[in-house]
Amino acid sequence: MSDITEYKDVWVFIEIKDHVEVHECALEILSKAREIADQIGQKLIAIVLALDAEQYLPTIEDYGVDKIIYLSHNDLKHYHERVFTSLIYNLIDKYKPSIFLFPSTEAGNALAARLAYRCRTGLISDVLNLELSDDYGNNLLISDKPAYLGNVLVKIICPSTRPQMCTITMGTFQKKKLKKKDVEIEEVEYNYDINGLKIKILGAPIRKDKPSSTLSDAKFVIGGGHGLNSKANFDKLYDLAKYTNGQVGGTRRPIMNGWMPEHLQIGISGETIFSDLYLSLGISGAIQHVVGITDSKTIVAINKDPNAPIFKVADYCIIGDANEILEELLDHYRVPE
Amino acid sequence: MLKIFVLIKQVPYLHNLEIDRRTGTLIREGVENIINPDDLYALELGLSLKEQYDGEITAMTMGPPQADFALRECLAMGVDHAILISDPIFAYSDTLQTTLVLKEAFDNIKDYDIIITGSQTSDSSTGQMPYQLSEALDIPLITDIFTMEIKDHDFYCHRNFGHESQHIQTGLPILVRTQRHFNEPRHISLKGIKRAFEKEIEMYNFDTFNCPDYLDGCNQSPTRLVKTEKIILKRKNEVIDGTTKDKIERLIHIMQEHGIERIWTGMSQDE
Ligand SMILES: Cc1cc2nc3c(=O)[nH]c(=O)nc-3n(C[C@H](O)[C@H](O)[C@H](O)COP(=O)(O)OP(=O)(O)OC[C@H]3O[C@@H](n4cnc5c(N)ncnc54)[C@H](O)[C@@H]3O)c2cc1C
Repeated sequence: MSDITEYKDVWVFIEIKDHVEVHECALEILSKAREIADQIGQKLIAIVLALDAEQYLPTIEDYGVDKIIYLSHNDLKHYHERVFTSLIYNLIDKYKPSIFLFPSTEAGNALAARLAYRCRTGLISDVLNLELSDDYGNNLLISDKPAYLGNVLVKIICPSTRPQMCTITMGTFQKKKLKKKDVEIEEVEYNYDINGLKIKILGAPIRKDKPSSTLSDAKFVIGGGHGLNSKANFDKLYDLAKYTNGQVGGTRRPIMNGWMPEHLQIGISGETIFSDLYLSLGISGAIQHVVGITDSKTIVAINKDPNAPIFKVADYCIIGDANEILEELLDHYRVPE
Repeated sequence: MLKIFVLIKQVPYLHNLEIDRRTGTLIREGVENIINPDDLYALELGLSLKEQYDGEITAMTMGPPQADFALRECLAMGVDHAILISDPIFAYSDTLQTTLVLKEAFDNIKDYDIIITGSQTSDSSTGQMPYQLSEALDIPLITDIFTMEIKDHDFYCHRNFGHESQHIQTGLPILVRTQRHFNEPRHISLKGIKRAFEKEIEMYNFDTFNCPDYLDGCNQSPTRLVKTEKIILKRKNEVIDGTTKDKIERLIHIMQEHGIERIWTGMSQDE
């Protein structure tokens, strides 16, 4: 094993969302990583792989980085696990970062897990807090993460291998603008032969474009989940929304079921809501969903399972059949003909 | 013949989870163990592939000796073989260590076409293992599949990938990660239960593999858990009791308190 004292600096993987913008979560992580880098007196370095990567650099420079390392190439337009993993692994091997943080998104989780394997180091996923401590070793990163379906919080360290790697859920940290003087920019040449890839894409992929949603501005959000059992029931949410001036959103499940368009997803891979009231119906409360609702002032959850994790984050818990209650609410709010 | 492997894990049933306040660890005594719920979808996919393509299916787990019971359940569901990888030296393995052990196992098995996993375990919930095993075995990992077909040792499927839906082709072997509710896991039949206890469970340990020293789970796992806390909740968590009518009245009251009233969208003024 190589000497861990050779490893230095804090790296953040900058995910480019839909190949148009820097992922918010990456900016949030940069702000936290800035604090960590200051505490250990090392550099904060952003890693960017994209098509026309230069266009994203000004945004990244606004969030406290000392340096940006980037690769720009047509093959990097979309996240590709083998290409990204190999290219970034080469960077790690060359520069030896001490800490490497990733947004907890589909691409971020996949990439971090693969890199951790190649580096034979530890990876802590869905971290909710990070702090440095000398309790278990010099300036060691302590990560808090939920386990047992969010029932407990565990503190995990990675004492003897490097980099110390984490994925961080969107909304965990606050982004703060901060501009360092003389940000160093380094372009690394792209050199990956994509001809050896094992997966062949047959035919043109169908793009599932996301229309923009107004969820983040809504005062009253009605969220539906798999527990509504059918598209017909899910559709009733739109009626309730119409009668109450609410806005419908939901979990990933109704999207997969074909009940709801993708842009109404709430959670880590969708929108974050800031409503006065969030009414959740037939939603289990998976952490990926919950992170998108905790900024709501009041949360009411309806679920037939008294042990559903959603009740842990709700102000008011109604154990019962969501469809039955929805029907009653419609009766109450329905506009008389 | 298609050689299918399904990776499962035995996990504690998380109903009344308790933490030992002094040691900060989970109290496992008296806690019932079950097959990790997400793995049931993986098993179901494996069993249906076996039926469709005349394959042979093996359930495999790494865990303590009592994980044997989870494998019996798999046998009862209809898997052909079961492998338990168990050795005190593998205890406390984190994801990386587990992956390294599984890699040894598959390097020994050599003959595999499809390895299927669930999406996450309910205990440690890292979700990293499928990615790492894909790296370790250098085979593609396919996630979020909605249709699939195997033809002449090639695998074809439609899958969601980022914001795209793709039709792809790849050679075997591959690793497939199933998503929750992807299928309807079957129930165990009485005949199945009988069969489960007639079969042998193959045991692998450190020596079976001729393991390298770095497979010491306790001493070589890069991550270390230093503390466990029950999550402290800042929400009210008030349970609204009573009849359905009571619940609805209270709910409407809460909605009112948040300024939600019926709005008039019926007829427009000009009509
Ligand atoms: C990388 C990644 C990113 C993800 N991103 C997101 C995201 O951004 N947003 C998101 O939402 N999910 C996301 N997910 C998926 C997430 O993990 C969960 O699978 C999803 O949120 C679950 O949706 P659900 O609660 O609707 O369904 P389920 O988990 O199936 O829950 C259904 C619930 O309904 C209850 N129920 C059933 N019938 C009734 C009834 N008649 N009345 C009342 N209750 C009933 C059940 O008790 C259950 O609790 C992501 C997953 C991954 C791996």
